[in-house]
Amino acid sequence: MPDFPRDGVVAVVKRDCPTCRLVEPVLAQLAGVVVYSQDDPAFPPGARDDTDLAASLALGVETVPTLVRFAAGAEVARTEGWLRPAWEELTGVDGLGAGLPEHRPGCGSRTQDPELADELLVRSRGHTLASRAVELTALEDEAEALFDRGWSDGLPVVAPTQARVLRMLDGTSRAPDEVVAVVPPNLVPVTVEKVAVNAVLAGCRPEYLPVVLAAVEAACTDEFNAHGLLATTWGAGPAIVVNGPVAAEIGLNSGGNALGQGTRANSTIGRALQLVIRNVGGGRPGGVDRATLGHPGKTGFCFAEDEAGSPWEPLSVSRGVAPGVSAVTVFAAEGPRGIADQISRTPDSLARSLAAGLRTVAHPKLVMGFDATLVVCPEHARVFAAAGWSRADLEGALAEALTLDPAEIVRGAGGIEEGVPAARATAPLPKFRPGGLMIVHAGGGAGMFSAVIGGWVGGAAGSTPVTREVRP
Amino acid sequence: MHDFAALEARGVVAAFCASTEFVDASAAQARALGYREVPAVFVPHPIQDRTDDETRALADAALDAVLAAVTTGGPAR
Repeated sequence: MPDFPRDGVVAVVKRDCPTCRLVEPVLAQLAGVVVYSQDDPAFPPGARDDTDLAASLALGVETVPTLVRFAAGAEVARTEGWLRPAWEELTGVDGLGAGLPEHRPGCGSRTQDPELADELLVRSRGHTLASRAVELTALEDEAEALFDRGWSDGLPVVAPTQARVLRMLDGTSRAPDEVVAVVPPNLVPVTVEKVAVNAVLAGCRPEYLPVVLAAVEAACTDEFNAHGLLATTWGAGPAIVVNGPVAAEIGLNSGGNALGQGTRANSTIGRALQLVIRNVGGGRPGGVDRATLGHPGKTGFCFAEDEAGSPWEPLSVSRGVAPGVSAVTVFAAEGPRGIADQISRTPDSLARSLAAGLRTVAHPKLVMGFDATLVVCPEHARVFAAAGWSRADLEGALAEALTLDPAEIVRGAGGIEEGVPAARATAPLPKFRPGGLMIVHAGGGAGMFSAVIGGWVGGAAGSTPVTREVRP
Repeated sequence: MHDFAALEARGVVAAFCASTEFVDASAAQARALGYREVPAVFVPHPIQDRTDDETRALADAALDAVLAAVTTGGPAR
């Protein structure tokens, strides 16, 4: 802490500021004023060197010149720029700056200089970080060094410098040392700070962090069973659908190409979750991740539900979250595949169409095993909305269309050995377990193409979708 | 492997059993849980498409190794 006078006046100036140069004779006129110079210790003569900006930071100076009066060790008055009456009142000296204009605004303090922002951020708050610092040598390429250390999913990552992690942490009000979850497969407790580190690696902006934190919380639950989802040879991975005002606030895409590339929030939030599982939980392909094929969305899979254009209540509301509250729902997901129906204009026909696509999840002859998510596009939703169908109406129609004839799905039927064992194929069977089909509304305004996202084994033996509110 | 660790922690003798495709995965998970070595038996892959008779034959063939795994040595940390 700089040695400020217990009782007296402190001035902070820089030579680069015309107003500071203007008031140089005034400072000379004021006996006993302690002057700190931000850029040139020789300006004005007798100034204290504050080129490291320690005094300026301690005083929270935003403009130079700044004049501060201390009494009994506490700041009691402050003025910025040059305003004769203010300076005279603060110093108690009349007749200051004869011949000078009455008022001149000051200049920006060097503490506000964008070029110094990172350095000053780290200097002021770097000590609050608990993560191990890794120093790279001058010969190391930053991006290559991160690959070499195994912290990447195969794409370049953003180096988690102290400044970037500190800025990321500004995206949440939660304490950096708060434990968010215990991350499988190695069951490692993860703090808000460690999630922030991985959010930086993934390319997130700070305002995404609350969504990433909620997704980590949701994924690291017994119900979601991220360990099983990772370890299975089936290719699904965690996907995130976001509801509530946060989606628009951070620019998540729920419209055209919502499941695709091109939107930073969509691309990086899911990636941050996967990097937490990789870098904190230790879940890596070739290690505990045993996927036979996997899919491209395992790099990261996140989108928002189009609530404004939906004929139904938001997914999060249907899962118990209050309307208007932001939430994430994490679910096991394969890659999406489209279901085209450009003819159906009645809800019954369209529901049967969508059911036909859903029947292929895992295998057209397997039932009650794998969950799925149906992404209904706006042009299909319009058909249901026009007929007044609720989400429950659609779920009911799908369930009816997906009650399968045992003769079609029994092992050997259709000349295919795979299928339901004969002992179970004694009556019509539902394709999905109760609660095993989730319906979301998203997509662009043109195109009668919905999508089915196959899941993984549902329920206690596999993975159940988990919804968590997004906390600021 | 977590099940193995949980059983061992309760004083129940355990061994890890999987098909040969999971040698690497079990080693990675064992290391993460602090084990240098875990008594393990790996049966020939694949598993899912075996008939019941084939699966019984696999189990019979592995029985001696399983008994040895739970009666000799033990995990090393």
